Amino acid sequence: MAETHSLQDLRQAAVTSKVFVQRDYTSGTICKFQTKFPAELESRMDKQQFEETIQTLNNLYAEAEKLGGRSYLEGCLACLTAYTIFLCMETHYEKVLKKIAKYIQEQNEKIYAPLGLLLTDPIERGLRVVEITIFEDRSIGSR
Amino acid sequence: MPVGLSVDGALGYPSPSRPFRPSRYVPVSAATAFLVGASTLFLCFTCPWLAERFSSSIPLYNVVVFLFTLANFCMATFMDPGIFPRAEEDEDKEDDFRAPLYKTVEVRGIQVRMKWCSTCRFYRPPRCSHCSVCDNCVEEFDHHCPWVNNCIGRRNYRYFFLFLLSLTTHIMNVFGFSLLYILHHTKHLDQVDSGVTMAVMCVSGLFFVPVAGLTGFHIVLVARGRTTNEQVTGKFRGGVNPFTHGCLKNIAHVLCGSQAPRYLGRLRKPHSVEVQPPFLRPPLSEAQLEAKAVDNGIQQSKSSLEIMESQSTDADPPPPPKPEHRYPGMPHTQNEAFFQSECSLLTEAPPTPSLYKYRPSYSSPGKNHTASTHSSKMSRGNSMTESPSVPVTTGQPSYRSDPSLSSRGGAGCRGGGEGGKAGSGGLGGASTFGGRSYPSFTDTLLQSAAASCSSSLRSAHTAHNALGPLISEGTTSTSYKSLANQTRNGSLSYESLLTHSESPEFESAAHELSPPRPHPPHSLSTAAGAPPISGYTSPFLSAQQREGSLQACPAPLRPSPNRAFLRPTSSPPSRAPPLSPRARSLGSPPPGPAPGHTPLGKSLSYAGGAELQHRPSSSGGGTPMQNSTIKQNVANHNTPSHKPVGGVKKVTGVGGTTYGISV
Repeated sequence: MAETHSLQDLRQAAVTSKVFVQRDYTSGTICKFQTKFPAELESRMDKQQFEETIQTLNNLYAEAEKLGGRSYLEGCLACLTAYTIFLCMETHYEKVLKKIAKYIQEQNEKIYAPLGLLLTDPIERGLRVVEITIFEDRSIGSR
Repeated sequence: MPVGLSVDGALGYPSPSRPFRPSRYVPVSAATAFLVGASTLFLCFTCPWLAERFSSSIPLYNVVVFLFTLANFCMATFMDPGIFPRAEEDEDKEDDFRAPLYKTVEVRGIQVRMKWCSTCRFYRPPRCSHCSVCDNCVEEFDHHCPWVNNCIGRRNYRYFFLFLLSLTTHIMNVFGFSLLYILHHTKHLDQVDSGVTMAVMCVSGLFFVPVAGLTGFHIVLVARGRTTNEQVTGKFRGGVNPFTHGCLKNIAHVLCGSQAPRYLGRLRKPHSVEVQPPFLRPPLSEAQLEAKAVDNGIQQSKSSLEIMESQSTDADPPPPPKPEHRYPGMPHTQNEAFFQSECSLLTEAPPTPSLYKYRPSYSSPGKNHTASTHSSKMSRGNSMTESPSVPVTTGQPSYRSDPSLSSRGGAGCRGGGEGGKAGSGGLGGASTFGGRSYPSFTDTLLQSAAASCSSSLRSAHTAHNALGPLISEGTTSTSYKSLANQTRNGSLSYESLLTHSESPEFESAAHELSPPRPHPPHSLSTAAGAPPISGYTSPFLSAQQREGSLQACPAPLRPSPNRAFLRPTSSPPSRAPPLSPRARSLGSPPPGPAPGHTPLGKSLSYAGGAELQHRPSSSGGGTPMQNSTIKQNVANHNTPSHKPVGGVKKVTGVGGTTYGISV
């Protein structure tokens, strides 16, 4: 699909800083992020919204890592096919990761971009942090 | 089979390309040869008789087990064990010199230490370890297995475990059936078949003991929920393992858990979301509004360069933020002011500074290494040999950076044509440079003005930085990441001051050309080590350049945060004399690497050269001296405007060495 953007469109607002929401290891090595509201965002967004986003992400990751029948069947099938099944099939975790990516994009579009923020999928950081980019607010009178 | 080779993927840089070492492939080749060879021989020579004599299901069974073993072997060999991609530069802005080497987290009630990985630039998650063979941090690192020539970690532990189980089974099968064959052919041992079967029996018998032992060991580990690394290092010897969920759950986790995703080689989709102002703002509370008003007032007062400069010469740092405040706080008002003034200076590119870098630097004496670190990081990848006339200031640190240092006037602003997002960053030393451009201290008013802004920030940082090393020296018992990356003997010896192998030092020194900070010269030798900045023609410098290597040449001029020598007054006089002779010796064109270089190099390598290479800030040893030189230079020509007007400034350093700096 041909995408023509004018330079104006492509030029995003300037990045002011980045906030990194760290992992929450209190429950072990399962993928979970801290829901503590970072101070930098205090003036930029609603605390409730942020916590809800992080909580949803945590739930999604928990679903991905769940030790259930699904993962067990997948493992058995993989064993039986000498792991060639991985060539054709997507693992359960990958499917959930896609879901997460979609969710993050949706959140960005609906909630974070209008606030001048941008969430980055934590998988890009090795599931270590959720990166929130804060964009410079050049609106007059903001500073 | 999914191939999880640790190569540079679309995302993540597991490790720079390593030299090809054929010796690494000997064990895995041997293992493969034995496995495949012995099994094939068994299947070809022994199994026909077994099928005939007993049942054809025996060979079939053996084939299945063999294929299963081989499949797991391949998966264990080729699958990415769970390598973490290197953290990007903007992530560790706050994890700096003053950041502790260890971070403690509580995992299910038990304190677990996370160590800073200087190679990968993040605090290692619990159970993660850095493999020195693969040079990667691996999630839930078990061990590096030479027989598969791969790390065993979270993603491939299951396959490794199953490989061990299946291999033990296979060995037992082969040995058992071979024995059966031999027992039925005792009178025909001279036949080829018998000979081969006996050989196979010997091989399998020989391998059975270690393999079974290892299998048993791992069965115990799985049952206890530990990794080999944890077991061998005795992490939970006396205590409780916070990662165990009970025997059955542990086994289930290993065998039935979902396949973890790989972090490398992922296609990074660009953000399709456009973020453009105007932005919504949540309603501010009364307190927030008040604070804003105050901020605005302060900012306006700082909008002029002069004011900024005078501030930079102030010795009073702003009040430090809480040291525990790990989030990159919103920039201080001062930082915002600087940012804005820098914005006004640069019209060529959108300014994209990272103010969070400033804040920690200004905040506390110890915490201001960020800027310098970033500058060091920026110059880490640059090779000063390419454009000696361009000093390196802070920019986007990157080993990937293209040292487009030749761009002079517009370099800083332009971002080096590397898609730089940071225009002001180009000159504003302390800001992040998306484009990784390096300013040159030429005669352009713009640059000098901006440079003076940034350098004033830098010099302010430097003052604070000066305290840092003293503090860290005084508290050698406290482990700081920076210390970990430096000489292990605990002393921030000034040998490392003569580090010219680290590019950041050049950068900071260059940076310090225009700052108005009057610092007494500690030694001009380090300044000499800087690349010729606008015609800086110290003989040592040219010698450095002649090195022609990243190692020798890019002596970073970054204000080292770790060096006590930055302190104008407190620099121990005893240090000065040894420096100057060395400096002088370096000053004269040396035939080879400067004499001062060698011990430096040694000390660096002792400290873990690889780490140091990655932590350019650690090489700040050389920086202070260069900084002091530059500062001296600045002090000499502390004109109201820091615009270089051309000509040569004579700078007198310790021991009477004079250098001419043309600006």
